[in-house]
Amino acid sequence: MKTWLLVIALQIGSFASGGEPKPTCCVTNGAVANTGRLGFGSPQAFTDKSLYQLDSVWNSADGTNLKLAELKGKPQVVTMFFARCELACPVLVHDVKRIEAALPADLRGKVGFVLVSFDSERDTPEVLRGYRERQELNAATWTLLQGRPDDVLELGALLGIKFKKDSQGQFAHSNVITVLNPAGEIVYQLNGLNLEVTPAISAIQKTLN
Amino acid sequence: MGIGLALTTVIGRGAGLGVVAPPSGMALVPSGRYEPLFRGEKDPKEVTVEAFLLDVAPVSNADYLEFVKANPKWRRSEVKRLFADENYLKSWADDLDFGAANRTNAPVVHVSWFAAKAYCAWKGKRLPTTAEWEYAAAASPRRADGGKDTQFKQQILAWYAQPSVSNLPPVASRTPNYFGVHDLHGLVWEWVADFNTAMVTGDARGDTGLERKLFCGSGSEGTNDRENYPAYMRYAFRSSLKAAYTVHNLGFRGAKDL
Repeated sequence: MKTWLLVIALQIGSFASGGEPKPTCCVTNGAVANTGRLGFGSPQAFTDKSLYQLDSVWNSADGTNLKLAELKGKPQVVTMFFARCELACPVLVHDVKRIEAALPADLRGKVGFVLVSFDSERDTPEVLRGYRERQELNAATWTLLQGRPDDVLELGALLGIKFKKDSQGQFAHSNVITVLNPAGEIVYQLNGLNLEVTPAISAIQKTLN
Repeated sequence: MGIGLALTTVIGRGAGLGVVAPPSGMALVPSGRYEPLFRGEKDPKEVTVEAFLLDVAPVSNADYLEFVKANPKWRRSEVKRLFADENYLKSWADDLDFGAANRTNAPVVHVSWFAAKAYCAWKGKRLPTTAEWEYAAAASPRRADGGKDTQFKQQILAWYAQPSVSNLPPVASRTPNYFGVHDLHGLVWEWVADFNTAMVTGDARGDTGLERKLFCGSGSEGTNDRENYPAYMRYAFRSSLKAAYTVHNLGFRGAKDL
């Protein structure tokens, strides 16, 4: 919460000082732009269906803050999960790893993988960092994110993912892997577990042609 | 003004200290219990709904016009497809014209979840949760627990059996319920904040953590109220929605914490 206020304060501060607003973070993936502004950012920079129009700010496993727009510029494979999940998420994350492993050599490193947690409360950047290590996810290509509950709900709504917290703090959720093109538009979704990954690979390839 | 607001907050939270009049256009829905129609294996049978404020009527075309005047990015020609599909405000004549005068007080429809959320935020409100909405909607005109009111249940069923009319009547034109809230049944469907927590999907086996037996043939076995068909319909309707969808009989109203 305090981090949030700080981010907002920084943004307002940079406006008030009359200077160019500073980016609020340092994770760039080579494509910063449209950060450090209040409101809708610079919507004209995005296509009408781009998820990168969202203004929400997320905490990454690296301990930095970022907007989804910073993922712009390469295809991203986006999945929602939570670290304590014992049922579906291990399979779901394994499915994403299968996609990564099945990428043709010329696509390696050109595709990003994003895991967004349902569990705003428990999946702090530290927890996500631990998860990334346990799962042996490459920090250069995998982005793990924690967000505010409202923002998680909104992203879930955009990805068509249904989820619900139960009284034990676990989450029931649908299992969806989404491929975003470099502009942040949904181009392909895998609904379910243990599915054939070839169509996802083709979808990723198409976004780069 | 500032003192008045502070007092309202303090008294509103101190149950039994006396009821403060809710803001204009809103009703105070007191704390109560809500039994979810579907629930997870470990979820309790009932959840407590804290007292909250709810708009007494759905948002009207006239209300929504003020919003789009003040927020150009939500005008029909300006809105981004990510946030509202191509039927957004379809029944309006133009960006700042909702058409015939008799639509002034009709509920605004063809609005997406994002649009509804943005309107509420602009008003300093939020969308009600499913639990809040269902709890408020369980009240009949005569009692908070309308489930025991046979006539009320029949009226709701009768509405659900009718196709929606194309010329929607004005909001708040019929008897309010026990809490003073109009039109929770009988006018339009309404967005809730957590519509995407309704877990029935096309292939329910893709969902995890819910009662397994829900997804076998006798689906209603796992629910708490097999006779509450309107609740099934609302549940099914919510689970079929996507956040950018706009529908001719789907509107919304605002809510607020006390």
